[in-house]
Amino acid sequence: MTKYLLKRVLQAIGVVFCISLITFFVLNIVPGNPVEIMLGEFADQATIARVTHEMGLDQPIYIQYFSWLGNMLQGNFGTSYFQNKPVIDILTSSFLVTAKLAGIAYILAVVLGVVVGVVAAVNHGKWVDSVLMTISVFGISAPAFWIAIILQIVICLKFNLLPLSGIESFKSFILPGIALGTRYAASIARITRTSMLDVLSQDYIRTAEAKGLKGWVVTIKHALRNALIPIITIAGSDLGNILTGSVLVESVFSIPGIGKMLVDSINTRDLPIVQGGVMYIAVICVIMYLVVDLLYTVVDPRIRLGKESS
Amino acid sequence: MNLLKKSLSVLAVAAMAVSLAGCGGSSSSSKSTESGEKIFRFGQSNPKVGLDMQTNTNSGASSVADNVLEGLYCWNDDNKEECVLAKDMPEVSDDGLTYTITLKKGVKFSDGSDLTTEDVKYTFERMFTPATGCTNTYMYNMITGAQDMLDGKATELSGFETVDDYTFKLHIDYKFAPFVANLGMDYASIYPSDACAAAGENWGKGTNLIGTGPYVIKENDEQTKVVMVPNKKYHGKKPNLDRLEIVYIDDYSTKMMEYEQGNIDMCDLDTSLLDQYKDSDLKDEITQVTPLGTYFLSIKDNDPVLSNKAVREAISLAINRKELCSTVLNGAAEPASSFLNPGVPGHDDKLKTYEHNVKKAKQVLADAGISNPTFTCKVRQKEEKIATALQAYLKEAGITMNVETIDAGIWSSARAAGELQATVLGWFPLYADADNQMYTYYYSENAVGKGVFYNNPEFDSLMKEARESNDSDKRVELYKKADYILSREDYGTIPLYYGKLQFVAKPYVKNAKLGNLIYHLYNIDIDLSKK
Repeated sequence: MTKYLLKRVLQAIGVVFCISLITFFVLNIVPGNPVEIMLGEFADQATIARVTHEMGLDQPIYIQYFSWLGNMLQGNFGTSYFQNKPVIDILTSSFLVTAKLAGIAYILAVVLGVVVGVVAAVNHGKWVDSVLMTISVFGISAPAFWIAIILQIVICLKFNLLPLSGIESFKSFILPGIALGTRYAASIARITRTSMLDVLSQDYIRTAEAKGLKGWVVTIKHALRNALIPIITIAGSDLGNILTGSVLVESVFSIPGIGKMLVDSINTRDLPIVQGGVMYIAVICVIMYLVVDLLYTVVDPRIRLGKESS
Repeated sequence: MNLLKKSLSVLAVAAMAVSLAGCGGSSSSSKSTESGEKIFRFGQSNPKVGLDMQTNTNSGASSVADNVLEGLYCWNDDNKEECVLAKDMPEVSDDGLTYTITLKKGVKFSDGSDLTTEDVKYTFERMFTPATGCTNTYMYNMITGAQDMLDGKATELSGFETVDDYTFKLHIDYKFAPFVANLGMDYASIYPSDACAAAGENWGKGTNLIGTGPYVIKENDEQTKVVMVPNKKYHGKKPNLDRLEIVYIDDYSTKMMEYEQGNIDMCDLDTSLLDQYKDSDLKDEITQVTPLGTYFLSIKDNDPVLSNKAVREAISLAINRKELCSTVLNGAAEPASSFLNPGVPGHDDKLKTYEHNVKKAKQVLADAGISNPTFTCKVRQKEEKIATALQAYLKEAGITMNVETIDAGIWSSARAAGELQATVLGWFPLYADADNQMYTYYYSENAVGKGVFYNNPEFDSLMKEARESNDSDKRVELYKKADYILSREDYGTIPLYYGKLQFVAKPYVKNAKLGNLIYHLYNIDIDLSKK
């Protein structure tokens, strides 16, 4: 197990390093001079050249890369060209906002998804199953930004129940959380239903029923517990996706999270923020997949044994 | 099963941790409902560049900072320059190289310190200190000694001569008539020397911005809003508002929904939404203004296809500008008659809108022996609709204009490198002076950096003479001639229209004004009887 863990951690470090390399060079190859954008249209060539030199952007690209990598390993992600603030401060404040949004969306996705999936499975073949699965297809298909706009129009504009935008209070995160979490809730619901149907047809479920156990005890204690493995897998990767995929919802609700910050920074070629942000997403994804992989070996010994025997 | 429980617990804890991590630091609502208080909320995009006006060129940052900061001069609602911290307009020496300025006495910064020439000297020296990272030095580097400071050869500005606590002289290296106009930009806002030096790199961040203006910053989280309250030491008329809030909302539609809900009192209305609102219940709350810029087809004048004047003239003749303004632009534009905007002194008001005559365009091409000239127009997404309309107009005249939409950053670099045959853009002078609109783009040296390569010695000579003359009437005549040569004789540029901007303001908002792309919020008042 230790060997497997070590191997996966080393793989994760390799992936992060490769991403840092690709991110840096691709972003620096893409046309678009950040200095020209920063100085505005009226700046003359002399000023552009002077500021380019002051920012060290006239140095060879490999020197810029090793300088950036060295600083990053020491926790220094550089300074934003436009905001003139340390990137790590900007990333931290944006992450806190995104984390709040993602947390709400994730809790909604897991709770709603599992409940809907279980109800649909228990009512397999009945109208309840059909209605819930139709809604789940709608939830998977509907783009998050579209749900966001519909929620704004109905909940905010028509009934004035919740804030339209901003992050002033917890209430401000409810609608963005719903908009972001709906797709994942639908996805978890479908996985839960499929997994539950598989388990409900097992002999031990019939045995439990034959023993005269109550329906909900059989469903929750015996069926759901054994159906959880694929749900855990998808729920784990969904947390990574929610944390890193909230850009459209953040834009619609004017939430200054990490996704919106990244898109804005790409448009203005604020490379230190883009590089730092991409590294942040890469690390989050790698950690989440690593955790899921490790959890999987914990809950399913066959995987661990298979690895060890090989 | 225990393992399952543990696994579930880990996921649950992860979710809770992530959620809780974001719970800290949220600001509490600061909305006041106290009756009688004049609270004004303005919705705009977050400039995300800080509020130090020496280190950014963002008009959104100006709309915030201008409530706190003041310069020696400013450009008012009518695009006229007026005195603010200076007692009078400067005395200019006969050779045009020395400007003597006297400050108003008794002016205090909001921290209680007196405004003196030391603060003005500090402000300019900070501007030229390389560590500041000033983005606007090109507007002031004609001050003697500025370049030495920028090159790190000096730490003091030799061209700044202190006469006494309230009078100083600025020496410049060459005659430059728009120098006073440049002093009216908020890039030259005067900072309090002690407070600014003490704030260091944090100047312009959070509440670290102190000026002599009517408001002071009370809260600024840099993410969602800036809250300002009156400056009790303000030297002018008492500010009208008890509280001025700038609420950051980037999405145009969301911003308008917040306006409809009454959560903000005023905001800009993007032209893309004009059609949706112009006949709605809000129609009477829409104000349309024409800023100083001009939208035009920017042409690479030394391109093998476009270097032929007949092709450029035919392009101009083929475009139906009136129709373009009324249909594609929803009426939010006026057809252009020349490159200079009508609000800029030097624009010839006698000029009529360009002729639209497809038959004549074909004849011009035929007379020049040209058939089916073809070129590519690369535009940013925001100009794609205009370019597509132009493509259709030109096709009628037998001119093929391919349209390609490219990323804004790529567009910027390609234009600077002279790689664009043609593009569509708006060029907005920072203030009402033809030098700022025309010299910056079409003077031969600058035309290279803008990728148009326009080069007409007669035009250059007129521009140069005008920027060296302090006679405003003479300057106007020189610019009229230069504009005519550029826009009508050479067709060096193809002006399209003078774009309009819109904003919405509630009926109880008084003095709602948009200056030249910058909202002048400091004059706003609230009519409580209408609220």
